[in-house]
Amino acid sequence: MNYLTLNRKHRSMPRWVGRSCRAIGLINILVLPLIALAAALFSALPARAEASAAQQSQLMTLDEVKSGSLLLKSSEPGRYVEATRVATDVDIVVSGPTARARITQIFTNPSNGWVEAVYAYPLPEDSAVHGLKMVVGKRVIVGNIKERQEAKAIYETAKAQGQKASLVEQERPNLFTNSVANIGPHEQVVVQIDFQEPIRLSSDIFSLRVPLVVAPRYNPAPLTQSADISANGIGWGSASDPVPDRDKITAPVLDPRLNAPVNPVSIKVRLQAGFALGEVKSRHHTVKTESLNDQTQVITLADNAHADRDFELTWTPKDSKAPAVGLFREHVGKDDFALAYITPPVIEQEKDIRPREIVFVIDNSGSMGGSSMDQAKASLDYALSRLKSADRFNVIRFDDTMDLLFNDTVSANSENTSKARAFVNNLQASGGTEMLEPLRAALNDPRPAEQSFIRQIVFLTDGAIGNEQQLLDAIAAKRGRSRVFMVGIGSAPNNYLMNRAAELGRGSFTSIGSGEEVNDRMRDLFAKLENPVVTNLVAKFSSGNADMTPATLPDLYRGEPLVIAAKLGAPSGTLTVKGMIGRQPWEMTVPLANAATGEGLSKLWARRKISDAEVESTLGTITTDEANKHILNLALEHGLVTRLTSLVAVDKTPSRDADKPLTRSDVPLNLPAGWDFDKVFGEQTLRKADMESSGVEQIAYSQKPVLVENAPAQLPLPQTATDAELRMLGGLLILLASAGLLLFNRKSGRNAS
Amino acid sequence: MIAVSHKDQSGAVFRPALKMVAIIAALFGFALFGQGLWIHAKAQLAQILLERAFSETIATGEPVKPWSWADTWPVARIDLPRLGETAIALHGASGQALAFGPGHVESSAEPGEDGTAVYAAHRDTHFAFLRNIRVNDDIKVTGKDGKTFHYKVVGTEVVRWDHSGIDVKASGKNLVLATCWPFDSATSGPMRYLVNASLVE
Repeated sequence: MNYLTLNRKHRSMPRWVGRSCRAIGLINILVLPLIALAAALFSALPARAEASAAQQSQLMTLDEVKSGSLLLKSSEPGRYVEATRVATDVDIVVSGPTARARITQIFTNPSNGWVEAVYAYPLPEDSAVHGLKMVVGKRVIVGNIKERQEAKAIYETAKAQGQKASLVEQERPNLFTNSVANIGPHEQVVVQIDFQEPIRLSSDIFSLRVPLVVAPRYNPAPLTQSADISANGIGWGSASDPVPDRDKITAPVLDPRLNAPVNPVSIKVRLQAGFALGEVKSRHHTVKTESLNDQTQVITLADNAHADRDFELTWTPKDSKAPAVGLFREHVGKDDFALAYITPPVIEQEKDIRPREIVFVIDNSGSMGGSSMDQAKASLDYALSRLKSADRFNVIRFDDTMDLLFNDTVSANSENTSKARAFVNNLQASGGTEMLEPLRAALNDPRPAEQSFIRQIVFLTDGAIGNEQQLLDAIAAKRGRSRVFMVGIGSAPNNYLMNRAAELGRGSFTSIGSGEEVNDRMRDLFAKLENPVVTNLVAKFSSGNADMTPATLPDLYRGEPLVIAAKLGAPSGTLTVKGMIGRQPWEMTVPLANAATGEGLSKLWARRKISDAEVESTLGTITTDEANKHILNLALEHGLVTRLTSLVAVDKTPSRDADKPLTRSDVPLNLPAGWDFDKVFGEQTLRKADMESSGVEQIAYSQKPVLVENAPAQLPLPQTATDAELRMLGGLLILLASAGLLLFNRKSGRNAS
Repeated sequence: MIAVSHKDQSGAVFRPALKMVAIIAALFGFALFGQGLWIHAKAQLAQILLERAFSETIATGEPVKPWSWADTWPVARIDLPRLGETAIALHGASGQALAFGPGHVESSAEPGEDGTAVYAAHRDTHFAFLRNIRVNDDIKVTGKDGKTFHYKVVGTEVVRWDHSGIDVKASGKNLVLATCWPFDSATSGPMRYLVNASLVE
């Protein structure tokens, strides 16, 4: 087979050089330290170097956060130590089109010092974070929305004055952090975060996804060690040689389930669908379901269920077909907000019979290794088997290099497809992820004006990359007549990238989380690819001045509803939607007066307007400044956390006398069902007894909070000595010793004979 | 007679065992020595690849990874004309980055900007030359956009790593090169050697 190989520009070294460098590096990393450790039995010298290397691995950066974690700031800049997590409760109320979620968690500062905690948590990228309450030891803190810098300044001031404060910031569109200043030794923190997310609807199936904020990591050894290091709170010192019991600690914790009792998770979803419920299913977890009436069910996570991946709940209407129209309304202040779901009819006889030109792009980088690669290969194999002989196709594979199977798209005859299936079958996962070049190659359209083919790009990846913006810019700039369909592979694909890429590429996003889903999901995707697209959609409110999002309506694929959120001038009149199904005009009119009351619609509307502004600035239709101004206004008005706004809370006036124990009425939080108040807050009562006279002063002065310093923040400096000399010296000493030993041996042998 | 045969027996067991121990120890010694050499070799070799990637960064304006599996990329070139020394600095100052070149400490300023730009590197590899630096020496820092900024050394100091006194938002346009101190120590310690410089406008 003759593949056209495109090496990346700057890769001027042959591949084998990279490979052998990597091999040497691997030997250096894996084998030599083991030898050095064994050598430590002979010489105590290298022990310290090893310990500090092990210590490095327990620290993490924000980029490495995959699930919600309480991170304690370590002495190394930009790095954190993971703290002990205690318990999590997720309480969700689904009412019609929206889900209101409240996550409550209790954390403990396990150290003997005062700490600033950074709690990082992934959320769905379309969720609107709007509420924060926190009980830190004896403090109850409620968050307010502020501009990001202002919030940060308020927080820093409070921190420097030894006050308890908290700050919720958006770090990435789907990653938020919550910083808590001045948590005392062994104090407990109760965090409660409120967010809204829209319910998804696709092919008559409604779904809700909750990222499981306390999923234990798959990497058990560092977790065990980090418990070790967090015990002294400052991140240094307690990494006594971790290796002697490596065998002991590795085997039992290989199964993450064994950690379950330490980090219990409970989930409760109250599902008020608004219509008679058919099948309600949890895709990845065992659940218990209680039916209150035919429209309402309460779903709880079963006791033995383990939360190691996102929780996803799907439900269908009893009479199998979702209602074609859903209309909801909310009145906030003097404004009315509406959310509409409109599913165009499926017209079988009017298929768009044009053949398709499809470019498949498959990621075979190292991060795809294992089941992800198998799923991707199976998905692509399925796709290739569905091609018709009139279609044209090509396959591009990439890691940090890329190959195009054919120079240009070729006819999908049996010879070409079997060649492609063999090519895909032989793919191995290895190397880095360089997604930009293959994306550009796929978008590169030699016949941009060709109308007899529908051009589609199917991109299969886990999206483990850092240059998201470059990719999105490439799609925005070069999409032309092509439609981009993202297929997310693996249990934690980068949903932000996938959704946004599909949105900009006017395609769709399909997530494949396990091998069993490949066929079903790919069949759905192909149904979309093969069926008529609803195009040229226009929506209009008769009352005139409605502010609608999305401003430009996307193309719709089979089974997908059009979802419109709007701020209305008046809650009367009609909503009219027009479009083309295949080549047939279609129109639908909905009266607004009959809309059902929904909750949180204003926040979802604002979240989507913010998202629109980001897209427009990516597309270059508005400047970054305009986008920022727009986002700021929306965020402040609706109390949302965005990249420009943060929630901040400072505990200035203690609400309680020093000598009174905290009672239930002092806590404006609803503790989740099953949580024992005395167990949660009992700790403080005990601590108070130790400290004789309790109170604010006591908390502030009994031990110096580590972060009370009025001087400007000092930059901690990294460790900048290698142990090269130490190793060379130790190596030489051992060599000398062994030579001496040999000499002695020979001599004593001669003496004996 | 009995004593002699006893000695023979124990020698027959003891000597090969001792020889084995000596050979194993020698292997460990070699490996350890090799590791030490490897640290230096890596530091030198990487700079060649970094130089190449950095030139491309300046040409294209985009970050370029020096090798495909790297988790960092070159962000600046630091030149000391008087000492004839040059080094390509990397994004971030994680242990992994510092093995290959000086690291630009993430929260610190960019070269030529208001505040303090901080670069840290190992005292025995990339920043070994800091011990020879003098007040009024010229330091040139070239950023990702290819613009070169001239700094003049205003002083040096020794500080604890956690009491660096470095304010990344300090007024003026400042530069700090940091490495471990003392230079000749075999073990790592808490002290750091700082070279303070400010921009020549």
